[in-house]
Amino acid sequence: MPTYELGLVLTPELEGEERDAFLGEVRQLIAGAGGEILKEDDWGKRSLAYPINHKRDGFYTFWTFQAPGTVVAPLEYKLRLSDPVLRHLILNMDRELRRSHKMQGVRAARKAKKAAEAPPAQAAAISEGE
Amino acid sequence: MGKKKFFVKRKKVCKFSAEGIEYIDYKDVDLLRQYTPVAGKILPRRVSGTNPIYQRKLTRAIKRARLMALLPFVGD
Repeated sequence: MPTYELGLVLTPELEGEERDAFLGEVRQLIAGAGGEILKEDDWGKRSLAYPINHKRDGFYTFWTFQAPGTVVAPLEYKLRLSDPVLRHLILNMDRELRRSHKMQGVRAARKAKKAAEAPPAQAAAISEGE
Repeated sequence: MGKKKFFVKRKKVCKFSAEGIEYIDYKDVDLLRQYTPVAGKILPRRVSGTNPIYQRKLTRAIKRARLMALLPFVGD
């Protein structure tokens, strides 16, 4: 199951219980598809960089969750149709981080290779010095 | 022959390869702001010295941040 990151910007008008109710629906949608939410990072109310629907503030929240790929389409659909959602963004973090993971592997391999090559070279240098 | 102009050349470094930042997060607004001067434009590589790989990642991150209203499309 890939790890996803969901970014949500909600209207500032949706407050307290209403907001909890809405976020609960989203949570349920993820959980219902066999997903699991790993992290929720609430930024709270933050001023938008530009007005959206005549609103100057937005409630920001970012979730990390693990779910089968089948959850993305219905989630996207729901968020798109929900009025309180000003903006949303779902990223597949596995895909985002693929290159950096690969590079870490490459770097580790390079290091290992260097370490394997280094001792004989060093030994040769020492014997030459003597 | 024109007059020779002298100026101090500053060494430009790619922050991302220097600090080993592999993934540029669109949520890291403070970092992205360093690459979007007042007009809100994306600072070109020739100015910032960022490596091509990271410049592309940076561009993507800035565009995502703009979509989420974390950064402006047009500055003031």
